[in-house]
Amino acid sequence: MRILKTTFTNIKTNKQLFFASVGTITIALSILGLFLFVYINLNSVLSFWNNQVQLIVYLEDGISEGPKKQLENIFSTHTEIASFDFVSRERAWDNFQSMFSEKSTFIKGMGFNPLPASYNLAIKESSDRLAFIQNLAKKLSDHEGVESVEYGEDWINRFETFMILMRVFLFALGALLCLGAVFIIANTVKLSVLSRKDEIDLMLLIGGTPGFIKIPFFLEGIFHGLLGAFVSLGLMKGIHLYLVNQFQGSLESFGRGMEFQFISPPFIGLIVLVSIFVGWLGSFLSLQQFLGVYKKT
Amino acid sequence: MIQLYNVYKSYNNTPALVDVSFIIKKGAFVFVTGPSGAGKSTLLKLLYRWESFDKGQVLVNGINVGKLKFNKLWQLRRHIGVVFQDYKLLQAKTILENVAFALEIVGADKKTIRYKAWEALKNVGLSHRKDAYPMELSGGEQQRVAIARAMVNNPKILLADEPTGNLDPEMASEVLQLFEKANIEGTTIVFATHSENILHEGNHAVITLKRGKIADTRLVV
Repeated sequence: MRILKTTFTNIKTNKQLFFASVGTITIALSILGLFLFVYINLNSVLSFWNNQVQLIVYLEDGISEGPKKQLENIFSTHTEIASFDFVSRERAWDNFQSMFSEKSTFIKGMGFNPLPASYNLAIKESSDRLAFIQNLAKKLSDHEGVESVEYGEDWINRFETFMILMRVFLFALGALLCLGAVFIIANTVKLSVLSRKDEIDLMLLIGGTPGFIKIPFFLEGIFHGLLGAFVSLGLMKGIHLYLVNQFQGSLESFGRGMEFQFISPPFIGLIVLVSIFVGWLGSFLSLQQFLGVYKKT
Repeated sequence: MIQLYNVYKSYNNTPALVDVSFIIKKGAFVFVTGPSGAGKSTLLKLLYRWESFDKGQVLVNGINVGKLKFNKLWQLRRHIGVVFQDYKLLQAKTILENVAFALEIVGADKKTIRYKAWEALKNVGLSHRKDAYPMELSGGEQQRVAIARAMVNNPKILLADEPTGNLDPEMASEVLQLFEKANIEGTTIVFATHSENILHEGNHAVITLKRGKIADTRLVV
């Protein structure tokens, strides 16, 4: 109780400094949180695309029934394949025309069908789905009667590389911002410690234990970090709600079932834990520096 | 109670204490005197380990002061009350809160704090002014509050660093009487002063320092 009272007295004594410090930490954590928000949503786009990935096996024009049968046998033996659909050249052309003929008189006027027949394979969801598709594609591309196999490999690989870069960037940015926050808290707590120097001198003189002297300042630092974390999480939730209200419709048109993701509970927990650690470390560093002078005498 | 053996202390190669040895028995009242810069304050600071020393041995209440780690210093300091020339009262607290603060630091419960703080102020004749702030009191009254604060945890040793230095002779005498009272109750007193009047009035053993060395010791004037 006394410790909490002292902590809040410390904060009250340096009110302006406290709010400036919390504000700066809020901004630092919000920047980090926004990048995390972007990352999480890009990741969700990636997994949405992964789920949409279809393997299309394009067939050679003159393919006979034998290789077709063999291919269908392969499809049936793999339990990972949910279903397969044969699209003949004629059906492919019809589909293409129905999609684009209204927009192009050129397509309407074309006198021949340039599209190949194909098999469209739907793959069941699983964690190693992409690896399975890659293996199957490799296997099928060498099969007799198969012209080519497509599943948007380049796009997915490029996107995955981008996500790895994003992860590295997030980590570096997070480390830098946390370092900045530690520095800010250390300075705020240092000023708080200095403003109470007479009191600390007396505590040491009368026989206060190190814990008695340090704990209120540790709590002050932790409180800085926590308040900064909660305010920034609140800000991010506000931004998330705004995006959902304003742009959910546009996102749905981009891909059905897609939605803006908020930072998941484990990440929220991580932000709160990091902010507690950053607050404690800031206080610890400034107290070490301050009490170090007494240790030397 | 206090034993010093061949103690040396210097600040940046300037000697502050040179080969100081003495023993103060439990319940004694000892003056430490000497001109400014003789090492009186330094000597007192060694006893409550506010300063470390270069050589020698210091034992206070059976504790080997030189070997105490920083985070164990409280074990030594809880046996010692210290009074300063400039009182060192917290200006934002009332005088009752100032005395209570010393009890809070050692973890006393609320009820004990309230009772003992008031009792300590009563002992120095200031209970009627318990809600006053230090700035509202005279120098002598402020020093009495500082003594109440130093005594409230019933220390075995009371160290006073020129406690009458800022006071007129009448107030100085009043303050000395409080130390005499504490001594009669069994507290060991080490009182640093350069005032001949106080030395004369106190009539106790005296250690005289000159340039960091013990120049003279006498038991009774």
